[in-house]
Amino acid sequence: MSLRRFMHRSLKDEDLAEEIESHLAHERDRNDARGLRPEEARREARLKFGNPRAIREDVWHYRSLPWLENGWRDLRFALRSLAKTPGFTAIAILVIAVGIGVNTAVFSVIDAVLLKPLTYPDPQSLMLLMNATPRGSFPGANIPKFNIWRQQSSIFERVAADDFGGAGMNLTGGDHPQQVQGFHVSADYFALFGAPLAAGRTFTAAEDSPNGGHVVVLSYGLWKNRFGGAPNIVGQTIQLDGQAYLVVGVIGRGFVTDIPADLWIPFQFDLNSQDMAHYFTVAARLKPGITVPQANAQLRLAADQYRRAYGNRAIGPEDGFSVESLQEFMIGDTRTPLLVLLGAVGLVLLIACANVANLLLARAASRRRELATRAALGAGRGQIIRQLLTESLTLSLTGGALGLILGFVGVRLLLAINAGGLPRLGEDGSAVTLDVNVLLFTLGVSVVTGILFGLVPAISASRPNLAATLNEGGSRSSVGFRSGKLRSALVVSEMAMALILVIGAALLIRTFQKLEGVDPGFETHNVVTMAMSVSGDRFQKTGPVAQVIRNGRDRIMAIPGVVEVGATNCLPLAGGFGMGFDILGRPKGDSTSSGGAGFYSVSWSYFDAYKIPLARGRNFTEHDDAAAPGVVIINQALARQYWPNGDPLKDRIQIGADAGPAFAEDPRQVIGIVGNTHDEGLNRDVSPIMFIPVAQMPDLETALNSRVAPLWWIVRSTADPHTLVASISAALREASGGLPVAHIRTMEEIEALNTSRQRFNMLLLTVFGSAGLLMAAIGVYGVMSYSVQQRTQELGIRVALGAQASDLRGMVIGQGMLLALMGVAIGIGGAFWLTRFLASFLFGVKSWDPLVFIATPLLLTGVALISVWIPAIRATRVDPMTALRLE
Amino acid sequence: MVLKRPPEAGDILQGTLDMLILRTLVLGPAHGHTITENIERTSENALDVEQGSLYPALHRLEDRGWLSSEWGVSENNRRAKFYKLTARGRKELNAAAGRWRRMTHAIGLILGEANE
Repeated sequence: MSLRRFMHRSLKDEDLAEEIESHLAHERDRNDARGLRPEEARREARLKFGNPRAIREDVWHYRSLPWLENGWRDLRFALRSLAKTPGFTAIAILVIAVGIGVNTAVFSVIDAVLLKPLTYPDPQSLMLLMNATPRGSFPGANIPKFNIWRQQSSIFERVAADDFGGAGMNLTGGDHPQQVQGFHVSADYFALFGAPLAAGRTFTAAEDSPNGGHVVVLSYGLWKNRFGGAPNIVGQTIQLDGQAYLVVGVIGRGFVTDIPADLWIPFQFDLNSQDMAHYFTVAARLKPGITVPQANAQLRLAADQYRRAYGNRAIGPEDGFSVESLQEFMIGDTRTPLLVLLGAVGLVLLIACANVANLLLARAASRRRELATRAALGAGRGQIIRQLLTESLTLSLTGGALGLILGFVGVRLLLAINAGGLPRLGEDGSAVTLDVNVLLFTLGVSVVTGILFGLVPAISASRPNLAATLNEGGSRSSVGFRSGKLRSALVVSEMAMALILVIGAALLIRTFQKLEGVDPGFETHNVVTMAMSVSGDRFQKTGPVAQVIRNGRDRIMAIPGVVEVGATNCLPLAGGFGMGFDILGRPKGDSTSSGGAGFYSVSWSYFDAYKIPLARGRNFTEHDDAAAPGVVIINQALARQYWPNGDPLKDRIQIGADAGPAFAEDPRQVIGIVGNTHDEGLNRDVSPIMFIPVAQMPDLETALNSRVAPLWWIVRSTADPHTLVASISAALREASGGLPVAHIRTMEEIEALNTSRQRFNMLLLTVFGSAGLLMAAIGVYGVMSYSVQQRTQELGIRVALGAQASDLRGMVIGQGMLLALMGVAIGIGGAFWLTRFLASFLFGVKSWDPLVFIATPLLLTGVALISVWIPAIRATRVDPMTALRLE
Repeated sequence: MVLKRPPEAGDILQGTLDMLILRTLVLGPAHGHTITENIERTSENALDVEQGSLYPALHRLEDRGWLSSEWGVSENNRRAKFYKLTARGRKELNAAAGRWRRMTHAIGLILGEANE
């Protein structure tokens, strides 16, 4: 084996030396025998044998592994040579570490969000059932749809429904009541997602039917934290929303849901129900061998069946059903932004590479004599390139190791800022881990980086004109035309890439400014909101809910500093529910007579609590209750859309006629028009909304509402509302008979959360842009300083011949700025082309925003001017006598 | 015949030297110097073994398992490394000698024809 040969070669060499010695001795003996004098005998023997060292080298080489040995030698040489220039080495490693660090940070997020498969068994076959419309697909289901989907046994192995926790539930019966995330699921849910069991069992089909009894399955976390991991928990009962629930099982620790679930209870659907309300989602597992197109073909037939059963009102003539991979759905629209971020950090890395390549070129120039000497002593071109590449790989791998640490610290900082609602990150970004993918990525990037910035300088340095270099009097008189051009090209590209990054950052900063400038339509200052779950049997009818609101408002209003109190089923900026309506007196089924709008059920004090202005008509009063005639208030967007010329206050509307007979209400009189609020987020257009008094909700709607959404309390105060939270919670607990509140946030916090993704993107791109700009500035400075240093002699001659300081300064600045401006020009072109990918990030700003495209190049030109100024000043200080004596 | 390692002929000549070493060792174990002398004497001094090739060749053959070696005391009462033919070496010698004979026979035929 060659490896064994390799290991033993030192021993073998000693052996061979002794053998050769013995051979020479025998030859001497023979020569002695021929009668030669001793010294003659010795000389002849040596002559005949030749050079023993050459033979030993021959055998040594035969026993060596060239690559291993050369690599080791190159590495030792590289370390020695890098250690000789600690300043250069430190800067190069730092620049690479920053470049690789940002890449590692962004990649580790991409890895967690986009690349890692879902943690459920066989995740590729998990699908989400979608409503397909010409405008796009969205999830959501009602019982009739669920019923039809679960009958598609030719394509689905299993189908299950769940509601992601909805309203939350109140866990009572201990020392303190607690709001928990309770998922409603159908019985097949656990089998569908392959949930492991820690104890007991999951629901039976009988338990998931109407009147199946109160049973619950606990999460591992809730079992441990709330019940101390009691081994006999299965079979005990717990108090949920004031009812006793029998614990039938505990799910194992490894099971994760995107919104962490505390417990699961069965939906207990009546599958014969004609209830058209959508309030849950349905997932399914494809049968082995069934493809998505096959499933979609079958679902088209299912949609026809649904249309025949429930009519065109339930499902539009162009609409249908489809499946979408659960993982793709969870990734959703985050793919493009993440890939754009990856592109941005790629640019940062390229700038870093260009910078280090520039440093290496400068270093190679000052080492030309060394390299030429080595070439003259017989080192081949390949050997010199290999040596230089070993140096650059040593740099890049060291930088990569440091970058891995930087990246990991960096990603923690990023996630601490708030990742703007990225999915799949786990609690506090716990899903972002240093796994094999990230390690391989960093290693790969390091190697590619090392080759990228090392190869060009290595090739250019290995092409020395031997005689010219060795004969050069001083190494300063010529810059080396080729490497000068190369360095200029690198600087130009650095400037161009930095400009693209900074333009991207500037666009996002402008976007954020525009968002901050959007008037949400209400006053956010000094308003706190909190959620109270009203999901129990107690709140199936409207009366008790209205009563809790009345009691709660009375008690909270008594707290000093409270200005007004409101309650609602959904918060502005957070998105909400929608309902269809018809305008009475207009022809049925016409697009001007019926439509859909946001549906808010609010307490009468809602508009005062938010200070939403009343444009026309009157506000709700305490007397708009169940006994009074039905009323509705609409916002200006709804009025403008459906009464462009008419007066809505003269009309009555009927809500919910499309949601099945159970939801069809009596007509309501439009009594007022309020200002628009940004309902689905600051970056969305205002949508039409209708508000009805909670006290006038039909009982069925209240039952559904209580099930899918908590009751939100809104308290406006004169002082910082944080100081009032404790007394408000206490007041609400008294008013509701012990119900806890959760999700306590001020409206300003909700507003910040609403723009957190934009803030996140803006912060990241600003950091990347600044890093790129700094490196590019260092690059310009480096090239010009180096050029001034190399041309000391020439500058000295110019001074001696009468050049003025201003001439020299102008010359250096001119040359430096020429490079910078070429870079800026190329960068503007590149940015025009690349910013289109930012379009989905932007709000209120065009991707070719003139302000950005004028200001950013000016900024970069300014920075470049500062960078060339210092070398230019240095050029004017050249003393002709010193310069000429340098020779 | 001079074994000078010209690059083009290297392989053939090296193979030949290997064969000659193996052949010499059929007579019994010998050290490097004896092997040289033996080849030179047996070929009536027509072949001059260059030492520069001999030792690398010996080490290579040993590495392939055709020779084994052992330090011992020579006829001159000096320490020397003795090489011995192994069973595999003997087999290789037979094969190499066969190849060589076939080749020289063929070359002989061609040269013979040319002479006629």
